[in-house]
This record gives sequence, C-alpha cells and structure tokens, in this order.
Amino acid sequence: MKRANAWWYGTVILGAILWFGHSPAWGETLYVQTKTAQLRAGKTSLDSVVGNVRYGEAVEVLSRDGNWTEVKTSGGAKGWIFSSKLAQSNPSGGSETSARLGSSMRSGDASAVTASTGTRGLDKSSEAYADRAGILPRDRQAVARMSAYEIPDEEVEEFLKDGGLGEYAK
Amino acid sequence: MRNNRSAIVALCAVLLAEAGCAEMQPAAEDAARRSGNPRMVEATHGASTLAASPLPIGDEEEKSIGEAIALQVVARYGGTIEQPDVVRYVNLVGKAVAKTSDRPDVPFRVAILNHDSINSFAAPSGYIFVTRGLLKQIQNEAELAAVFGHEIAHVSQKHLLDVIQRTKRVAGIGEEGLGYATKDPAVFKNVVDNAVKTLLDEGFDQDKETEADALGDVLAARVGYDASAYVGLLTRLRELKGDDQAFIKTHPNFSMRINAVQEAIRTNGLQSNGVLLPDRFAQRGKVV
Repeated sequence: MKRANAWWYGTVILGAILWFGHSPAWGETLYVQTKTAQLRAGKTSLDSVVGNVRYGEAVEVLSRDGNWTEVKTSGGAKGWIFSSKLAQSNPSGGSETSARLGSSMRSGDASAVTASTGTRGLDKSSEAYADRAGILPRDRQAVARMSAYEIPDEEVEEFLKDGGLGEYAK
Repeated sequence: MRNNRSAIVALCAVLLAEAGCAEMQPAAEDAARRSGNPRMVEATHGASTLAASPLPIGDEEEKSIGEAIALQVVARYGGTIEQPDVVRYVNLVGKAVAKTSDRPDVPFRVAILNHDSINSFAAPSGYIFVTRGLLKQIQNEAELAAVFGHEIAHVSQKHLLDVIQRTKRVAGIGEEGLGYATKDPAVFKNVVDNAVKTLLDEGFDQDKETEADALGDVLAARVGYDASAYVGLLTRLRELKGDDQAFIKTHPNFSMRINAVQEAIRTNGLQSNGVLLPDRFAQRGKVV
C-alpha cells in the first residue's frame, strides 16, 4: 500500500515537472514588433494564415517550439508566430518614462526640425552642433538623408523571404 | 548628547535627501555640520551629488545626440558613399538583424563611409556605419549581418549612452531632455565631443566589445544567418592585420574576440549550418 502511494506521488511530481518544463513561458505577455504579422496554423511559413496582429499588440504566450511561439490575442485568436517578431517590451512606447521625457522619435516633433538640409533636415540641437563644429554642408546632408532613411516593413519581409531567412528558413 | 541629536537629525535628513526630497538638503547639510561629524558631512554631500544625478536619456535627446555624433563620424571618415542600390541592400540586412534586438523601437539605419580603413561604428538612436574598407573584406551576407549585429548590440546595450550619462553627471547636468542643449550649445558640444572621443579615438572597454561580439552573433543567428560566419571574418582580419592590430588600441585582440563569439555559439546552442548568402552579397553589396 505504502509502495502504491509512493508510486502515485512520484507520478504526480514527475507529471508536474514535465508539464511546467514543457511550457515554461505559459501566461507571459509579449508585444508584436513588426508593422503587421501573421498568425499561422502551424510552425512553418507554409501553414495557413489564421489571423493578423499589429505593431504593439499584446499577445499571451501559450507555448514555444524552436523559432516559433504559439500565442493568443486579446480577441481570443490563437496561432503560431515567428519569435523574432515579438518583443518583451511594448515597442509602440507609452511607458511612464517615455511620456515624461517627451515625444518619442516615432511621433516626429516637426517643430524641432529645420529644413536647411536634406529632405527633413537635422534637428535643432545637431544643426547647432554642426555650426559650432564646422561640419561641411556635404556631411550635414549625408546625415540628414540617413536620419530620414526608411524602408517599409513589407520590403524587409520580402528581403527575408528571398533569402530564406527568419520564418522563411528552408 | 546634543551632537548625537544633531547627528540623528542629519541622518534622517540624509535619508530624505537621498529619497529625492531636495528641500531637505540644506537642513541635512546644516545639521551635519552642527553634529561635528566629518563622515556625516561627507554623507550629506554624497546625497546631494546623488540627487543631482542626470535623469535617463529619453528618445528625443538620444536622437539629437546620435545625429550630432553621426555628423562627426561622417566628417572624419571622408563622407558617405551614395550608391542607392548598395545603401538599400546594407540597410535591408541591418533592418533584418535589428528586428531581433532588445530595442526594436530604435530606427536603425546604415551608411557606408567612404574610407579604406577596416571599421564599423554605431551612434545612439541607431546610426550604424560601415567603411568601404570593411565591406571589401566581407565575403557573404552572414558576415555583414554579424558586423551589424555587433553594432546593434552596442546600441541596444546603451554602451555609448552610459558614457554620455557619466559626462553629464560630471558636468552637473541634472535636468530632463534637451533643455541644457538649448540653453548652452557649448555644453551640448562638450557632451557630444566626449562621446565621439570614446567612439572614434579611445574605444569602449574590452568587456563591452566582447559583449557586443557575442550578442551581435546571437542577433544574426536569430534571423537565420550562419553563426560561425563571424568567426570566419574575424579570423581573416586577424591574418590580415595581426592579432594585436585590432581596429583601435583599446579593442581586445582578434583572438579574444573569436573566443567570445565561439563561447556565445556554444552557450546559446547557435546553429553553424545557417544561411550565408555569398551570391546575394556579391551581387548587391559590393561598392564601386
């Protein structure tokens, strides 16, 4: 009898270890860090799309397998997403610190921008720095172009697909 | 007894001052002086210094500082190469790697410096630079991704921002945002110039460089690039330049860097059978 009890308790403890070991991140909240991303029925880019999530959206982690994470959205949709599309902190900001310290780069403070160079120009402080440091117009324009340089997420996605990278790995 | 009472009052005031009650600072210093205890006087002064520590650097300030540092990098390294197809390609590789970093909100962008030296740099707010000389040594896209991973790691770990924080602390700048830069552009210039000195002349501490090597390789591998590609590049550079002739004096030698990357591959279980993409790099990543 005692041996049967010991066996039963041992099974329960082993089961608990396996259960928690299998899904260590259960209940964790992560955030979508690409403009849009697709939830798929399985763990490959060939599996059917079962839903879409947007930049900054919070999702609950259900399980992980390799480079893929199974998640549940606040709307209840479940599916697999490539793990590098998720971040631990909300990339869309909104934290108390960023609010206190002023506007984020994404919001683009137009009043702090001058139009002396490039398509958008340097901001006021770096323009003043350039004046004091004697930076040539050619170099100011190069940095202004760099500051304004953007590539849409869709093109990065296409680049990954073409190279068999990220979720498109063969 | 009276001295003891003063000491207790001073100690309470110090605790309050450290907790951020600036109004208590004069009272703390006064009570400490009256206690006749030099240690207490020192403690109240320490609390004052602590209270004057600069606040964290916000996005707007980081962007301005990063842009100003970028101006110096471009000026000192011969300007940038404007070949739109190649610039677009290196930015796509950089964006792909940056997506996996711990600071995905930073708008990483890459420029190619018109300079034959073998080097790469990163300024705050995601300004990444690679020289024409380094691009010429790279043989595949996985190596380029690891170089960008290294630079992105410097930004995500805020290595240069830490230097800037220290400069601001020494300069006694304790206000939020860019107010100090507007009030006195000379102070802002000093902050930027000191950061440029670290970035271009003195280099980071060796442990920060090896941390960036290890984390950078992890970032590139997360995208699917071959994790051992970076070891290949560093090994070729060691043969080309000699082990002690790393990029700048304070960098660890190449052997230490290779060891750091190999350790990262082992401890993180990174794949060494990932994507290399030598053909895509040869077609799109070569500067004229």
